[in-house]
Amino acid sequence: MPRLPLGDWVDSGVTYLRDHCAWLFDLITTVVSGMYDGLDAVLRAPEPLLLAGIFAVLALWLRGLTAGILTFAGFALIDSVQQWTAAMDTLSLVLVATVITIVLAVPLGIWSARNRTVGAVLRPVLDFMQTMPAFVYLIPGIFFFGVGQVPGIIATIVFAMPPGVRMTELGIRQVDGELVEAAEAFGTSPRNTLLRVQLPLALPTIMAGINQVIMLALSMVVISGMVGGGGLGSSVFTAISQVNVGLGFEGGISVVILAMYLDRVTGSLGSRVSPLGRRALAAANSLRGARVWTYRPHTAVAMVGVVVLAVVAGGMNVFGPSSTGTAVAAGKNVGHGRTVNLGYIPWDEGTASTYLWKEILEQRGFAPKVTQYDVGALYTGMSTGKVDFETDAWLPTTQKSYWETYKSRLDDYGSWYDRTSLELTVPSYVKGIDSLADLKGKSKEFGGRIIGIEPGAGMMKMLNDTVLKKYGLDGEYQVTTGSTASMLAQLDRSIKAKQPVVVTLWSPHWAYSKYSLKKLKDPLGAWGQGDGVHSLARKGFASDEPQVAKWLKDFKLDEKQLTSLEAAIQDAGQNHEQDGVRAWLKTQPGLVDKLAPIAA
Amino acid sequence: MSRLEVEHLYKIFGRRPETAVRWLEEGADRAELRDSGTTAAVIDATFDVREGEIFVVMGLSGSGKSTLLRTLNGLLEPTSGRVLFDGHDLTALGPRELRRVRSHGISMVFQHFALFPHRSVLENAAYGLEVQGVDRAERERRATEALELTGLAGWEKSWPDELSGGMQQRVGLARALATDADLLLMDESFSALDPLIRRDMQDQLLELQKRLKKTIVFITHDLNEAMRLGDRIAVMRDGRIVQIGTAEEILLRPANDYVASFVQDVDRSRVLTAGAVMEKCAGDADSSGRSVTMDTPIADLCALSADSDEPIAVRSDEGKLKGLIPQQTLLAALAGEVTHA
Repeated sequence: MPRLPLGDWVDSGVTYLRDHCAWLFDLITTVVSGMYDGLDAVLRAPEPLLLAGIFAVLALWLRGLTAGILTFAGFALIDSVQQWTAAMDTLSLVLVATVITIVLAVPLGIWSARNRTVGAVLRPVLDFMQTMPAFVYLIPGIFFFGVGQVPGIIATIVFAMPPGVRMTELGIRQVDGELVEAAEAFGTSPRNTLLRVQLPLALPTIMAGINQVIMLALSMVVISGMVGGGGLGSSVFTAISQVNVGLGFEGGISVVILAMYLDRVTGSLGSRVSPLGRRALAAANSLRGARVWTYRPHTAVAMVGVVVLAVVAGGMNVFGPSSTGTAVAAGKNVGHGRTVNLGYIPWDEGTASTYLWKEILEQRGFAPKVTQYDVGALYTGMSTGKVDFETDAWLPTTQKSYWETYKSRLDDYGSWYDRTSLELTVPSYVKGIDSLADLKGKSKEFGGRIIGIEPGAGMMKMLNDTVLKKYGLDGEYQVTTGSTASMLAQLDRSIKAKQPVVVTLWSPHWAYSKYSLKKLKDPLGAWGQGDGVHSLARKGFASDEPQVAKWLKDFKLDEKQLTSLEAAIQDAGQNHEQDGVRAWLKTQPGLVDKLAPIAA
Repeated sequence: MSRLEVEHLYKIFGRRPETAVRWLEEGADRAELRDSGTTAAVIDATFDVREGEIFVVMGLSGSGKSTLLRTLNGLLEPTSGRVLFDGHDLTALGPRELRRVRSHGISMVFQHFALFPHRSVLENAAYGLEVQGVDRAERERRATEALELTGLAGWEKSWPDELSGGMQQRVGLARALATDADLLLMDESFSALDPLIRRDMQDQLLELQKRLKKTIVFITHDLNEAMRLGDRIAVMRDGRIVQIGTAEEILLRPANDYVASFVQDVDRSRVLTAGAVMEKCAGDADSSGRSVTMDTPIADLCALSADSDEPIAVRSDEGKLKGLIPQQTLLAALAGEVTHA
């Protein structure tokens, strides 16, 4: 078979679209991110417990007392595991994506119910949307919409739309043909037939579709955390990349609570809004009589409750203390509130240096925004200008492929930490193996496996293409691919069981302080010279913010500083990185002025 | 005077309907068309419906009667031919005018009631008025009246699924009556009801018709129902109307073997009247004897005839003697041997 260059065509198509339809994508980005920012601001503004109260009143109205109490308890739990802000971000993402999806899906469903051709054309398109693995369009989404919430929301819409369209179509088709004929026979116009007969009768099915849309949106929004979507997705993503089981569970349970709440509330909303559902509800109530556990307030009562809580929440924001920020010392306000976007990959040195710069920039009067990304997403983000700079680029070796792809759009501000190294590592209880050469002939001991990381990592390419060949290990060992998290989990498991294991690792890495490990020597120099940790910025950042660019170019940390900073951040805990940075800076008097000097 | 006139109406489903009409006009038959993937549902239907009459279209399933009915209010557009309602050609109207005619002039009662399950009984009955744009108080008043007419007073707040089949169809009837439309199209409206209820509904329809004098086109596959209700009956077979006439005409002079075999099982004693079977004679015979009117069903004559050997006198409403029915004549009529009249 000749090789069909399908991928190339898609590639050039994507490039063409990016270059020629930029205005369209910018428009979409503006609208969607505007919706998101607005809703997120509203949801984040009130005291968590008050908002939890509002959610609880809604649940009480729709489902009764049990649901109300459980709702409050659930959201209180989210708050107490410090996932509140992330959960509100996720809720905003889900709601924005759902609203846009419904606005598109319901008319499409109606159209395809009334027109067989449309239905027939739409069906394969919907199949495509639903089954195409989300990552396939999540990453190209960054080309069009930049990193951040928008590509995540767009991917979510694409993924969640099919059930909305299908259930709307099904609901309308299910309406008894004789009823539609009856409406027509009495002279009803097509529009009114739709509004007065078909839609009301299809509503339960449509609501079931919307419920599906919300559930799918929630699952997709978590995945979009990997491209800087933020919210609980980022919490979970961070947790798994740090093998932090506890944090992963806290993020995960928050997702579950949100999912259950949204599912139950939209499920009941279906029976509240549809005339048939209202009837069934009334009948059930009159049978059961009034009991405390099934008590549901009337709509008016519930709305009064929501409004009262909302007013209290608003009042507290007006009169309460404004949030405490970092004080900007007089005469050091260089930034005057200008926004700088920092991106980072949740690796320890990346987190540490990024939050250090966030603190420094705040002290200099900037308004830095920090967002977490996957490596590929971070590079794409900088190349499209959505991210201003990052401080965790391993060059010239590890991230070579990314740098080669994007270097025309990026500036390298030089390395601030030298020098990293890549290696294969074994636990120190593995005797007799000290160098890569010693691995030869020992594959039985290790089950013939070298535990690798993400298949796309530069390090994996080097290992397979160079290192194994140089030491003649390529026939003997199989390199398993997975993720950094799975590699670390396997390392942890083997160490607990005192089994021999060989993993791909790099320095600096916290694993070296947590476990007793042995880096295998590389007498042939197969791993190359090692990398520096570089700061990269988008092209043009240096002319927009010359002062910040200058600071970054002069940025240096030594190993002692970096490890103590990482330790301080580790002590402060998840979501309190900046507190860790502040505590650490107290032990480094004058460092801020040294790293970010004010021109006299 | 006719309210509704149908002229050479064709309704063809499938490919190239106009060509099919031409073929049919040239004498092609339905089976040939079916082979080419075209279905002729109604072929060359011509009839008129007079003011205040119940016109029944009778035929087996697949004979095209429901399709014919739907062309009468424009739910289906005829392939060719004209439908004149009060002299206006419905086939020439645009969608908007057609909807106006449907909401004001023609209403419809369905086989499976077609009540809106999300509306109460009152809201269902008021539906047509709602479409007309009548304000709420007025339409509720008129819908309540219509429900009273059909014997459903007190059920206004119920929901359709809480009602029995017969009651649901009364709501359907009330919905059709509430709009004050003069022409009522009834599509097998009583077929889905069980026999006793069906009879009740037929009686009630006749009762209502005496008071309201609507013009009704009634579709049925049940010949007994057709004979009971219809002032005139059109028998349809394979898309064509094969005979139009009163119940007696069809019973006594079937147009062909098909109609004849069809009417075989009809309870003749309930259809035939004294006037149809009597031996005509004029004059002033014994006025003291037993006498009946012209439209007395012959079923009612049997008891009288059994009492005595004397013939039964048939008199006009004014008491004038029109004819005599001896026992033999009565028995012959019951046996299906009446050919005169």
